[in-house]
Formats: sequence, C-alpha cells, structure tokens
Amino acid sequence: MNGKIATANLGRLSTTPALARLNLRRLYTAHKSGALGLASMLGGLALWEIAARWIVQDKLFLVAPSDMIVRLMELTRTGEIQQHTITSGVEFLVGFAIAGLVGVAGGLALGVSPLARALATPWVSAFNSTPTVALSPLLILWFGIGLLSKVVVVFIVSVFSVLVNTQAGVEGADERLVETARAFGARRSQIFLKVLLPSAVPFIVAGLRLGVGRALVGVVVAELFGATSGLGYLITTSSQVFDMGALFAAVTILAIAGVASTELIRVVEKRLAPWRQR
Amino acid sequence: MTLASVSTASAGGAVKLQASRVGMRFKSEQTGASVEALRDIDLRVRAGEFLTIVGPSGCGKTTFLRVLAGLIKPTEGSVSLDGAAIDGPNPSVGFVFQSDNLMPWRNIRDNVGFGPEVRGEPARSWKPRVNDLLDLVGLTGFADSYPHQLSGGMRQRVNLARALAIEPEVLLMDEPFGALDAQTREIMQDELLRIWRETGNTVVFITHQIDEAIFLADRVLILAARPGRVQEILDINIPRPRSLEVKRTPEFGALVDHVWRGIERQVRASIRDEQRARPS
Repeated sequence: MNGKIATANLGRLSTTPALARLNLRRLYTAHKSGALGLASMLGGLALWEIAARWIVQDKLFLVAPSDMIVRLMELTRTGEIQQHTITSGVEFLVGFAIAGLVGVAGGLALGVSPLARALATPWVSAFNSTPTVALSPLLILWFGIGLLSKVVVVFIVSVFSVLVNTQAGVEGADERLVETARAFGARRSQIFLKVLLPSAVPFIVAGLRLGVGRALVGVVVAELFGATSGLGYLITTSSQVFDMGALFAAVTILAIAGVASTELIRVVEKRLAPWRQR
Repeated sequence: MTLASVSTASAGGAVKLQASRVGMRFKSEQTGASVEALRDIDLRVRAGEFLTIVGPSGCGKTTFLRVLAGLIKPTEGSVSLDGAAIDGPNPSVGFVFQSDNLMPWRNIRDNVGFGPEVRGEPARSWKPRVNDLLDLVGLTGFADSYPHQLSGGMRQRVNLARALAIEPEVLLMDEPFGALDAQTREIMQDELLRIWRETGNTVVFITHQIDEAIFLADRVLILAARPGRVQEILDINIPRPRSLEVKRTPEFGALVDHVWRGIERQVRASIRDEQRARPS
C-alpha cells in the first residue's frame, strides 16, 4: 500500500517539469508578439551596453544603460527626477487635455457644418502642415517661461491631429446608415449623436494617438527654449554639464510616458469601439 | 384554375397606400442633363396586401420605394397613406434596406430598438418587444451579439426585425434577400410569409428575382425601364399558405415564364446599354 502511494507520487513528480514546460510554451504562444517585443528590447539594451562598455569606451560619447540606471536612481533619491517629471507631466496633461477637447469639438463642428468647414479649412491645413513646434521660442516670449507657455505649445502641436482626424471620421460616416436613421424618423441632432459621433470614434482615437506623440515632443521642445524645471530642462542642463546619464534618464522617462499613454488610448479604444476588434 | 390573371385595378379591401401619377426627374451630376426615372405611376395597395415589384435593373424600383417611404419627394404626382399625403418618413412605415445597414457599434438588441429609441419610447417599453421580435425572426439569444458576429442571413433578419420594431402598418422592402445565397433566400421567403401572416402588415417588396416575386405576392407589379413605368399588374391566385414546393409545379413555371417574357426585351436592352457605357 505504502509502495503504491510512493510510486503514484513519483509518477506525479516526474510529470511536473513536463507540465511546466508545456505551460511555458502555451504562455509563449498566447503572448507571442509581446514576448518577442520584450526579447527584442532586452537584446537591444544588451548590444547598447556592450557597445558603450567595450567598443566606444567614452561616457561622453555613449553612456551605457547600466550607468544610466545608476544615475536615475541617484536622481530619484534626491527627488530631482520626480520634480522634473511632475512639472512636465502637468504641462503635458493640461495641454493635451485642452487639445483633445478642442480638437474633438472642432473636428465635429467642421464635420457637420459646411460653413465652418469653408471658413476654417485653409487655416487648419496651414497649421496642420507647418511644424508649429518652431513657434515655441515666440510663444515662450509671449507667455513667459512658466506653465502657460508650455501648455500653449503642447496644445498647438497636438490639437490639429485630433481635429483633422475627428473631421475625417464624421465626413466618412456611412451615408447608408444616415439614410437608415432618417427612414426611422431621426432628427438632425439624433443623426449626429447616434450615427455621426459613433462613426467618428475610431478616428478620434487615432487622432489622439498621433497627438500624444506630438504633445510629448512639444513639452520637451518648449522646455528647451526656457524653463526652470521639467524633463526637457533636465535634458538641456545635463547636456551642458556633460551628465549623459541624467540626459538618457530623462529621455527614458519620456519614452516610457509615450508608450504608456499610447497603450492607455488603446485600452480606451477597446472600451469605446469594441466592434473594431475582429 | 388559373393561378394568375391581369389585375382589374384594385378590387376589394381598403386602400392603404396610393400613388397617383408619380413622376421623378433627376439632374445627372456628371452631364447636368435631366433624367426621367419614373413616369406616371398609378398604384393602389390594399391593406394587408403583399405586393411585389419586379423589373430590369435601372427601372427605378428603388426610387419608387424611396418615394413611398417619404425619403424623397416625387417631382410629379403624389403618394398617400390612408388618404393622407406622404411628405416625410412616416412612423407607421417600416423600411427594410437592401444592404442590412446595421450599426456596427450597436448590439443586436439596440439595432432592433433603434426606431423606438429615436421616437423617445422608453427602453423598458421596447426591450420586451425586441426580444419577441428576435424570437419571431429566429434569432433568440443573439440580443447581445454584434452585427459583425452574424452571418448575412442573420443580419437580414435583424434588418427585418428592426423595421417591425416600430410596429408598422406598412413594410417597404428593397431587395432584402438580394445578397443572400439561393438556399438561405428560399428559407427567408418562407419565413417572411409566416411573419407577414402573423403581423398582418401591408408589404411592398422589391426584387429582381421573378420566382421570388411570384411566390410571395398577392399581386406582382412589373415595371418597364427608362423611364420606370407600370407595364403590367398581375394577380397571383396561388392559395395560401404557400409552401416552397409550389415553385416546382408547372403552373408556377408558366407564371415565371409569363413575367419573364414581359421583361426580357428590356433586360436585354439594359445589358446592351451597360456594354455600350463600359469603356473598352
């Protein structure tokens, strides 16, 4: 009897590693693209580390990821990095929130009103195709080196991608769905709320995703031209004193912020537009 | 007993839907020339009647149906419902579109409930009705699905249920089974007759399929093309309820033949026109 139990246990024990391997494989197939992405990132960092440590061997020229992490931890201990991140974060959030609201509202208005479209189209195309970030020095001059000027820059560089995409979404709404709504007696306001707006949602999200990238660039560039705090400010000052570890630390945080907000928008899209997931 | 006879105007039953000398002219956007789509169409549809309209492509079938729905105004003549002129979409007229036109962001329940919702009927009042309709069209249990999860035949059932949800007295159907495969189409014809029996609606149904037109109809209206005008109205005397087997009888075949001879020349003409229009 004892012997029997022992062999049974043994049998179970011997299957455990096989089971674990199986689960790992299943985990891999379920998250294949994520796993490959992670491996690719780690590989890139390793190459970077090797290049910096053994090939370039010049911290001014190319700082190794490990050195950057050490510097990042120092800056975290002194609280500097938090302060800069908060400054830039507030500039980004306020500027981009206003850009999102104005972009969506403006895009909807241009989508439904031929008059608004006729009046605004030349301005929108002009601003949309101009690298408005070049106006930053002027805007700093007008609005000072505080929060306001950064918000204005972030707003201007990101609002047009939201606006243009929203408008395209409204204009691209399926004509047959509009007629269907009409046949069921929908009023103009109902056609707008129940057909045009939902049609535009995927486009609005695409515009927001484009806008996020531009807004982050806007934050940094605005701080380059005049600021007392922020990640862009940290980049400027650390490059002036050849503190390449701090410079890369700031860039890394910006990169993480970019990836995180893009992911966040993707989650929002899944919630708002579940029919887009085929 | 003959199964068809040339219609002698509109005998018996109250007139539900009436078209008087309806004419329609469009201005062509490319050439600016005026095109006559409909000419002098006179029609009386009796309450509870199932009328089908057949004709070659380009005969203005859809245009005429859109006029009846109040979606467009005829340039000549008038249409009326229960004796009152139609000058816009009417709450007692349901429209079933050729393509299902379901809203991809709404689940099936909310697609079917679109009409009542637009009218401001509270959800607790229309939701039970929507469930009944889904049962009626054979989609029990799909209320929470989205259109892209359904097959073409199922989506057309939703399209029909959506029109029925406003509890219409008149159903206008624009080639609703045109995109379906032959088998699904036959089943849907059978189902449609069952639903029509249960609801007692007046139906105007457009199709280019002659056997479909005859199988469903009390009367078949044959339209001639360019401009669209009434060529012939045929009474179909096949007893109801009809089963799909009736299509296999020689009498039914003779009816199809008759209608086909009526429109054959025009179909050939329209094919010639299309070939001429196509750049070589």
